[in-house]
Amino acid sequence: MLLDVRDLHVEFHTREGVAKAVNGVNYRVDAGETLAVLGESGSGKSVTAQAVMGILDMPPGRITRGQVLFEGRDLLKLKEDERRRVRGAEMAMIFQDALSSLNPVLTVGDQLAEMFTVHRGMSRKDARARAVELMDRVRIPAAGQRVKQYPHQFSGGMRQRIMIAMAMALEPKLIIADEPTTALDVTVQAQVMDLLAELQREYRMGLILITHDLGVVADVADRIAVMYAGRIVETAPVHDLYKAPAHPYTRGLLDSVPRLDHKGRELYAIKGLPPSLLHIPSGCPFHPRCPMVRDVCRTDVPPLYEVTGAPAGRGSACHFWRECLHG
Amino acid sequence: MAEPILQVRGLVKHYPLTTGVLFRKQVGAVRAVDGVDFDLARGETLGIVGESGCGKSTVARMLVNLEKPTAGEIRYKGEDITRLSGKALKAVRRNIQMVFQDPYTSLNPRMTVGDIIGEAYDIHPEVAPRGDRRRRVRELLDVVGLNPEYVNRYPHQFSGGQRQRIGIARGLALRPEIIVADEPVSALDVSVQAQVINLMGRLQDEFGLSYVFIAHDLSIVRHISDRVAVMYLGRIVETGSHTEIYDHPTHPYTQALLSAVPVPDPEAREHRERIILAGDVPSPANIPSGCRFRTRCWKARERCALEVPPLAVPAGFRDATGPVAHDSACHFAEAKQVVPPEADGAESGRGR
Amino acid sequence: MPEQPYEPERAMAGTGMGGQMDLAASEATSLEKTPAGPEGTGPEGTGAEDKARSLWSDAWRDLRRNPVFLVSSLVICFLVVISLWPSLIASGNPLACDLAKAQEGSQPGHPFGFNGQGCDVYTRTVHGARTSVTVGVCATLGVALLGSVLGGLAGFFGGAWDGFLSRITDVFFAIPVVLGGLVLLSVVTGNSLWPVVGFMVLLGWPQISRIARGAVITAKHNDYVLAARALGASPSRLLLRHIAPNAVAPVIVVATIALGTYIALEATLSYLGVGLKPPSVSWGIDISAASPYVRNAPHALLWPSGALAVTVLAFIMLGDAVRDALDPKLR
Repeated sequence: MLLDVRDLHVEFHTREGVAKAVNGVNYRVDAGETLAVLGESGSGKSVTAQAVMGILDMPPGRITRGQVLFEGRDLLKLKEDERRRVRGAEMAMIFQDALSSLNPVLTVGDQLAEMFTVHRGMSRKDARARAVELMDRVRIPAAGQRVKQYPHQFSGGMRQRIMIAMAMALEPKLIIADEPTTALDVTVQAQVMDLLAELQREYRMGLILITHDLGVVADVADRIAVMYAGRIVETAPVHDLYKAPAHPYTRGLLDSVPRLDHKGRELYAIKGLPPSLLHIPSGCPFHPRCPMVRDVCRTDVPPLYEVTGAPAGRGSACHFWRECLHG
Repeated sequence: MAEPILQVRGLVKHYPLTTGVLFRKQVGAVRAVDGVDFDLARGETLGIVGESGCGKSTVARMLVNLEKPTAGEIRYKGEDITRLSGKALKAVRRNIQMVFQDPYTSLNPRMTVGDIIGEAYDIHPEVAPRGDRRRRVRELLDVVGLNPEYVNRYPHQFSGGQRQRIGIARGLALRPEIIVADEPVSALDVSVQAQVINLMGRLQDEFGLSYVFIAHDLSIVRHISDRVAVMYLGRIVETGSHTEIYDHPTHPYTQALLSAVPVPDPEAREHRERIILAGDVPSPANIPSGCRFRTRCWKARERCALEVPPLAVPAGFRDATGPVAHDSACHFAEAKQVVPPEADGAESGRGR
Repeated sequence: MPEQPYEPERAMAGTGMGGQMDLAASEATSLEKTPAGPEGTGPEGTGAEDKARSLWSDAWRDLRRNPVFLVSSLVICFLVVISLWPSLIASGNPLACDLAKAQEGSQPGHPFGFNGQGCDVYTRTVHGARTSVTVGVCATLGVALLGSVLGGLAGFFGGAWDGFLSRITDVFFAIPVVLGGLVLLSVVTGNSLWPVVGFMVLLGWPQISRIARGAVITAKHNDYVLAARALGASPSRLLLRHIAPNAVAPVIVVATIALGTYIALEATLSYLGVGLKPPSVSWGIDISAASPYVRNAPHALLWPSGALAVTVLAFIMLGDAVRDALDPKLR
């Protein structure tokens, strides 16, 4: 077990009140496994990742409960300088917006080389050579020349490759990619996703892929965790989830995605809006939007039921998961 | 096809690149839009699809007269609107309205929803008599599915999807005939996207609107468009009906775009051929000679660098009938099925 | 590992797609036509919904309930009243001084004591309000108006006019204020405060103009301005309805802070002998006159400078309150 997040709770203190961004999230990632965390804005998927990485801004954020076990150690109990050593060397993060994640006044070569001089104590010359090697590795053409260029001289897809190179630099055991291809064009998205998947296989890293895009997830993930209102509402191996969702939210999401292979004008739409984190509905947080809502949903918070008769490790936080699965 | 309500001919927009501080010298041009033709029929939806930098947004802005074209014509009911100014332009604007991409920046944060939608009537007072404006604004809110009581609220009190509904209400205020929608749902969450797309479809039927729907996402366009035009580096490379583009694409770029769209179905990934294009889109300031797609095309040959392929039915399909015979700007066009044929079982298996 | 700068919306938003998550959208619980939720924000009076509201009317409603605004405007009203009728609260003659009482402290009838010339500090502080407040307010208003109009137009229209104006501002920035004052004001005869105000406006507007220009350029590139243009809005409507309200905040902040410096500048110029001449009474004159004796008679310095500080603070608070009221997000 590489990463084991247990019962994580995160709150934000805002002017309007306390926003409960993460409300008891559990997930695990093994080495060499890709877990996709799927959710819409406000579902808490990015906040969870930031808490795992230890880059959550506190205040206004606050981790009120939970454990983040990385190879058995609870990262939340580490001191900041110990934590910093874990970050980068053992786990790394890739952000959506590569342009703002790179320093505009340093060449990409310098930024890559810095990883080696700071963390590995290499000489500048060796570090520079490793930087070129890395850029080659993420298939940036003419890496030898481009290493001297500045971030703005690269296209969006190339910048995201540099971010991947940077995350890979110290060969971490876990990579968290937060919407890594959302800002890219579809044709480039495919290139970057393929590269990421390939590197992940090669180095047997754990990969957490945070996304709102059901399509991207289908192509690369092993397991999926669907988040809603700061909770995991369904978790399943990727094939099972798409074939037969066991939570009405997942089902609604799958049905409302416009698909190339389905025509037709009217799209299925989940009614209503994602809830405000300041006022999470009572009972099942999805109940105001749920087509199969009953009285019990308004009062009782559903636990993550184990879905029986399915491959192990499948769960659904719906009182009526059986109906959903077979309905 | 009925008489087109909008005809676009040879539309060009170049932005000059200059150097020098005191004496400006033009050293080149960004050819954002480089010769675009299309028609829009009454009541029809034309989807314009392309990656960032292909010029689709610039086309949209020229259609609603936010940018003046460098060359070319935009004929609305036969009249070239690019040359209009003053009163005549204002009159045309009433009939061609726009819905913007970003619902967060396209609404003035310091105006109430009522003022945002009602502003159209301040600018065009002839549309609604003074006493009637308030009622009309409430009606519009109701039409787009928002509570009419919200007139006195400010944009920040709404979520992204609701703001986009306000943007649509503003676009509808003057009862236009054409709405140009520039990526209206790409900033929204998946579950909300569907609501807005359905709303736009309903409004089209209700008000007999014609849409120009700009998107980077072929799958969304499929749900709303009657016809589709695929743009690459300032030009349309392939255009045709819904079935022609999705089921019988003949241009390699369209095929690549279609194959790159992730399908939310892991079963599909096994029996789907994926074409992964090499490299990035070239800069519009430095467009390749001949066919502009040749630098990323796996079929490129010498002829592609020398001859610009015209947007017409390719020679090979000239005698063909059926959906393969549609405009495609490729010397070596060939039909290829990229999207898996619709699996009826898969859909009905999941009840709603 | 590069870390992202903190943006609260972003930190909490799940996807970056929308860019932000609306905590405030909370009350809009459903897209279906539910009436305003119970936690409906702020001014949701019954029946009030029928009346059309605007930014300005909402701002006014907001201000009337804002204690900061109420306190600061009370202070300012009081200052205006004593500027117009100083004898209401100080019946003495500010020019009647008795050297024998120089630097003496507080005593009955003279609560603030006497200054170095033996004049009553209380009377002089009250009577000095007129000059100081007039100079401060008029110079600020003049600077803010001239600067924001010129800067705003430069930012809005851009091009040659912008280039020309930017060079002019550069020229004015290069003039040292005190030296410029010495040169320009020394040719003025008579003892009126208007040349001083005029001089401050002349040298002060470039500062505001730069800020206004930048704010207008930022606001101009928003999609809502494009949207209004697509509706056929005229340039004046774009400027007044869409750009100005979204660009006014930094101008208000800088202008209210500058108000204090103008009152101090008047003192400096008077001290150098090119501002107001001694028979006039102003806080500036008294502050500069008292500063050499601060050890022996601190009260002579404290009272006029205290009055100055309170005045400046009142205006800054007023500016803050107005700026906040004009931002619906803060309601």
